[in-house]
Amino acid sequence: MNPGNEFDRDFTLQELLAPRDAAELCAAATGLLGVPVSLLDAGGAPFADSAPPAPGAARAPLVLELEPLGFLAADCPPSALAGIARLLRWGLLSRARLRMVSDLHLEAVRADYAKLQQQNEALKASEAKYRELAANLDAKVREQTQIIDERQRQLYQAERLASIGQLAAGVAHEINNPLGFIGSNLFAAERYRAQLAALRDVIPPAVWQQQDLDFVFADFADLLRDTREGLERIARIVRDLKGFSSVDQPEEQLVDLNAQLTALLAVVNGQKPEAVNLVADLQPLPPLMCLPGHLNQAFLAILQNALQAVEAGGTVTVRSRAVGDNITVSIRDDGPGIPAEVLPRVFDPFFTTRGVGAGTGLGLTVARDIILAHSGKVDISCPLEGGTVVTVALPA
Amino acid sequence: MPEFENDAGRLTFKLVYYGPAQGGKTTNLMQLHELADAQMKGELMTLETQHDRTLFFDLLPLGFRTASGLTIRFRLFTVPGQVAHDGTRKAVLSRADGVVFVADSQRNQATNNGEAFQNLAENLGRVGLDIARLPLVVQFNKRDLPDILSEDEIRARYAEAPWPLVFAAAIDGRGVRETFTALLHAVWRRYADEFDLAGAHGLGEQEFVAAAGGGMP
Repeated sequence: MNPGNEFDRDFTLQELLAPRDAAELCAAATGLLGVPVSLLDAGGAPFADSAPPAPGAARAPLVLELEPLGFLAADCPPSALAGIARLLRWGLLSRARLRMVSDLHLEAVRADYAKLQQQNEALKASEAKYRELAANLDAKVREQTQIIDERQRQLYQAERLASIGQLAAGVAHEINNPLGFIGSNLFAAERYRAQLAALRDVIPPAVWQQQDLDFVFADFADLLRDTREGLERIARIVRDLKGFSSVDQPEEQLVDLNAQLTALLAVVNGQKPEAVNLVADLQPLPPLMCLPGHLNQAFLAILQNALQAVEAGGTVTVRSRAVGDNITVSIRDDGPGIPAEVLPRVFDPFFTTRGVGAGTGLGLTVARDIILAHSGKVDISCPLEGGTVVTVALPA
Repeated sequence: MPEFENDAGRLTFKLVYYGPAQGGKTTNLMQLHELADAQMKGELMTLETQHDRTLFFDLLPLGFRTASGLTIRFRLFTVPGQVAHDGTRKAVLSRADGVVFVADSQRNQATNNGEAFQNLAENLGRVGLDIARLPLVVQFNKRDLPDILSEDEIRARYAEAPWPLVFAAAIDGRGVRETFTALLHAVWRRYADEFDLAGAHGLGEQEFVAAAGGGMP
């Protein structure tokens, strides 16, 4: 609102009447009355180009509300002049009313506009709020979807682990039974061999030599000893298999990670190609609270990738170290390394460089999920000197 | 704040009749034009109407001259009561020095009264006036109609309110002058010290009210 433009201000003659209009009005009034008519302002001075009135001329006030805003002056009977003033007042009043209404209208429009603008601002603010909410919602949904994806992969892997574990447990059990009676039979066989050796005193030496029984007895003992060794190896493998799958320990427990790694290496040793050299470089570690079966699965996946990288020959080194409050395990191979464009994707689900059916593309993904579930970190890099290093850090 | 023009020796009060649509605000001014015996009394200026309802405002100028030579003017405005004309209503209310709230006594108008009063309070805030300090009189009009709230009911409802309560039937002039008188008293009490009305201009409360055309005839 500009001060001075209020609709309810007091109007002056100047505001309501242009000088040209005033001259025309005076001329008309002069024509009607037959004597010169002057227009004076509120103070009595001639208005605009009006001539000063004759001395002693009659005056008629022009009143809109209470007080005159001007006068008409002419040397004529006052009643005639009052009549003309009355006419002029009607004109001035109409103009004043028009000005008041248009100014008031302007004020009202401004007020309405300001109000609309305020509402508009409020709407904008609430729109922005909803937009932000919607944007957040999108991010939130993405985040949740990611979590669900992760959980699904973990579930899938857990089921796979469980079935592997069950299989391993079943196989171990089935093998342990025959192992048991093979072992006791072997024991009996060794005893029988000793008893049979006593036959030497009753069998005629000619027959003994003809049948080359000296050699038979010596070789029999060797065969039994070799069989015993083989049996012990089978028993050890079964034990490692059970330990690796941890079917007996589905709960979190405190373990020595080195022992786990050793069991894992024992299992892998049997699978690896001849040309690959598997080196363990383990240093004492603090006990780790973990799901041993799951962690084994993670390390197995990493180890398998390393072994595949050096299929044609090379070395895979497994190192364990205690660093501050962390345990780090690094698995390094001296293979060809991973191309830079592939490196960022190796943990992506279903990403694989192997032929269809050869790999699920889930091995490293699940390994990472398992390590993350243990609040750990996994990092893969290809150092300048060649090969690939996967480093796992776990909080002890 | 009343407008004081030192050069012209003039003090002007803007008084606004506010209230729900068709509550009798214009009728109040028309009757006051007849009843008030102020020293100076202008014509009632009625702006455009639509179906007999105020579109912009009505204006009644009243005034008197003090012995000290000061001209005291009262410009009484009505606002358009219809809800749609809120922008106009707010513009007329700006710069008001006193308000008469004209309520409709009919039982079925209670809600409209409430909404109109709420609107008055809001618009006073918007134009920067403090309802707690503004001279305000509440008039319950249309006492001549059937099915109206009784005076006791109304008094009970307004018992907590600080404003003078006047009952009126503006259509035959009843209560119109009393309402104006009550507002004049409130105006004098609010502004007398500020403009030294009693001291410099010899205007006590009674003299002020009587000269402005209020008081008992």
